Amino acid sequence: MIWVAWRQHRTLMLWGAVAVAAMTLFLIPTGIGMSHFFTSSGLARCLSTVGADCGDLGQQFDSRYSGYAFLVPLFLMAPVLFGMFFGAPLIAREMDGGTYRLAWTQGVSRPRWLSTKLAVVIGSALVGAIALALLVTWWSRPLITNGASRFRPGIFDLRGVVPIAYTIFAVMLGVAIGTLIKKTLPAVGVTLVAFAGVRVGIELFLRQHYMTAKTLTQSLISSKGPPGAGAADWIIRENTIDRLGHIVSSGRGPDFGYLAARCPALAAAGPFPKFATAVPGQADPFAACVQHLGLRDMIVYQPASRFWTFQWIEFGIFIALAIGLAVFTVWRTKRLS
Amino acid sequence: MNALEASGLSKRYGKHWALENCAFELPSGSIAGLVGPNGAGKTTLLHIAVGLLEPTRGSLRILGERPGAAQVLPRVGFVAQDTPLYKGFKVSEMISFGAHMNVGFDMEFARSRIARLEIPPDQKAGSLSGGQRAQVGLALALAKRPEILLLDEPLASLDPLARREFLQTLMEGVADTGVTVVLSSHLLTDLERVCDHMMVLARGRFRLIGDTADIIKTHKVLIGPKERVGSISGVSNVLHQSTTDRQATLLVRTDGPIIDPSWMVNQVSLEDVVLAYLDSRSTSADAVPDLHAVEEVAR
Repeated sequence: MIWVAWRQHRTLMLWGAVAVAAMTLFLIPTGIGMSHFFTSSGLARCLSTVGADCGDLGQQFDSRYSGYAFLVPLFLMAPVLFGMFFGAPLIAREMDGGTYRLAWTQGVSRPRWLSTKLAVVIGSALVGAIALALLVTWWSRPLITNGASRFRPGIFDLRGVVPIAYTIFAVMLGVAIGTLIKKTLPAVGVTLVAFAGVRVGIELFLRQHYMTAKTLTQSLISSKGPPGAGAADWIIRENTIDRLGHIVSSGRGPDFGYLAARCPALAAAGPFPKFATAVPGQADPFAACVQHLGLRDMIVYQPASRFWTFQWIEFGIFIALAIGLAVFTVWRTKRLS
Repeated sequence: MNALEASGLSKRYGKHWALENCAFELPSGSIAGLVGPNGAGKTTLLHIAVGLLEPTRGSLRILGERPGAAQVLPRVGFVAQDTPLYKGFKVSEMISFGAHMNVGFDMEFARSRIARLEIPPDQKAGSLSGGQRAQVGLALALAKRPEILLLDEPLASLDPLARREFLQTLMEGVADTGVTVVLSSHLLTDLERVCDHMMVLARGRFRLIGDTADIIKTHKVLIGPKERVGSISGVSNVLHQSTTDRQATLLVRTDGPIIDPSWMVNQVSLEDVVLAYLDSRSTSADAVPDLHAVEEVAR
């Protein structure tokens, strides 16, 4: 039975292996180059020194390597590709081509047929997914260290253990959809849409609630972000609030109209108060207004230290979804005809 | 023992009943022809028998077991309509498929049969002719060494020569193994030569089931004067009647010898009987009691 599953899926496995190998061939040299530059330029040392200003070095690094951003959508797509090419056709193709009448009337019972096929397909997808996850995590380390928060949506999804769970989920989703749609191409298309829906839904609406977010309120004028790791935190939202805690505007700093209506001095100074070059001793009308209104900056964020907790929570959610889909698929396959 | 046994078997698709209240028994060792027009419910019946479909009501036992059960699957050979094969597999790989999917698979048998039919083992299953496909499907099903073999319209896509070859392979394959065979077809002539049992299905109901010899024995054509049509001693049912000015020709099922000298008694062909039962004028109301009567004779 394992031979049959292997024989049926070997072409796809071969292409999958070729794709993973091609990625490896690209990522290893570029990754080595990137981390070499990261160290030799002194950026690594600078970033690990507290209080150092690494702006120029960081920019140099960015200008060299920010072009690799084109790879991000590809990495994000990788799990659903497994779902579309390995998962969706698993049953849909048998139904589509009528070969289920051959496969399910041999000496192997349907549950055993299904579990063997799933084991072979998920097993090989897992090998590819783990290889890619490790590779991407290693490769993107200098990029992450240089400013980008690894916690940020879109980057969180590429690193650590979550891509592995996404892949297993995507394969199971494809298989389950194939038991419902029974036509290969529509099943593949629906798998893509459904996967994107679940992923985006969880990313936008659920992930930030895995743990109660922390809130930081600080002065509007001299602030850099949350204390501690700073840029590595995941900032969920940032608002300007007034003395009573009401939200005045989203983002840091109120709009000029709001301030001008309340501070005649600022209104007189015009929309571009030169507080940056303010003469010492002379009150900056902007700062004075902010002071007067008691405006503060409120940041809701998940601290960087929670990264791995969030990774494992999200991993658990997708594995649980995959198990649910597996149970559904077994139940549904018994009734297929 | 009965190879197939059904009672109250019904299958509904939406509002349409593909099978309605079917009851029958097929003794082991029979070579049965399942005959009926397209859409009669033949495929539905066979799919229920191999466990691909669940009946809506009633039950069917195959080799005394629930269809599709793990313990019965290895004992049942099935070739579905149009002989599905994996298009990308070579013929030799289809044989390996059979060997990996069935514990008692006779690989030697399958290989030698394919060789004898001169089908190249390296050819892709997707590029086989209709006749070759049917032969490969049959070889796989036979190599499983089943106790019952169900073939769904195996001859439909074959030319007359391929039909003969196919039936020859089938009969060679089943000779002295005692395997029960059910062959479905919408054409009776295909089956007449090889089948010893007939199961006639139309619009989801069985019209006639029985041993072919008994069917021929118990059906006669009577020719006689028109005015004598009515109660004839020895006739249990008139299936078909055509009259001219003076003369009537009746196709009847008998329940005893016909001794009335005013009727000339002629033999019937199986085809005539089956066509009479398939005829829409023979309503299900009188066909169903017939069915049981014929069944009694068969046993």
